[in-house]
Amino acid sequence: MLGIQGAEHEESSPTAPTLLISKLSCSLAGKTQSIRVVTDSHAHRAYGQKEVIEQFYCNYGLNPAFRNDINKGQLKVTGADLDGEVRIVELSDHPFYVATLFLPQVSSTPGSPHPILVAYLKAARSFQVSRKSNETRGTVCKI
Amino acid sequence: MMFNRIEEESEMNQQLKVGIIGDYDPNLRFHIATNESLNHAAAALSGSLEASWLPTESLADGSIETILRPFDALWCGPGSPYKSMDGALQAIRFAREQGWPFIGT
Repeated sequence: MLGIQGAEHEESSPTAPTLLISKLSCSLAGKTQSIRVVTDSHAHRAYGQKEVIEQFYCNYGLNPAFRNDINKGQLKVTGADLDGEVRIVELSDHPFYVATLFLPQVSSTPGSPHPILVAYLKAARSFQVSRKSNETRGTVCKI
Repeated sequence: MMFNRIEEESEMNQQLKVGIIGDYDPNLRFHIATNESLNHAAAALSGSLEASWLPTESLADGSIETILRPFDALWCGPGSPYKSMDGALQAIRFAREQGWPFIGT
């Protein structure tokens, strides 16, 4: 997508020359961290606040060497930790395309569903309805 | 007008189908949490939801569009390395290029 040839993941290809995803300098497994959320993003609309706390369980993330490349395409960094390390990315020209380094599912409870997941299902619902109305229109046209 | 509104509301309450890209393991806490969190969010929207895990190897055999099109949203679940990284990447590409609502965690 960014035209990075041979982009690899250190977990599955540790000796590859171009490690887009590399081992984090400090493992985030089992840690909690503050994230600054960029305004005018799906994440910000979902949270309704600029700084949130999330739980992480990962050892890999975006290689800092590619930090400046990541914003060159349609992918935008919409959440970063207090040191600027990438934690949330989104596609700008897409109805809802959000990826997080943390696991929103882990902090979700029946009484407090995760706001990003609620926003995700709202997008799914809109998509379902728009698809259905397009199908109906298609049928009418055929008649 | 009244009729249209009722029809719209009934459409809004249709069951959502979510396809989870990943190799489900019932012993993995994060996989169980993925299913449960979807139910929490669906309940908050007063809707019902059916989640299906999509083994990554099944996504690498060329029939990916047939598998993914019935879903209203796709989720790339935790648990790398996947059995088929190629299958997982193809499904993520489908969501990106075809405009399917997507989350990766």
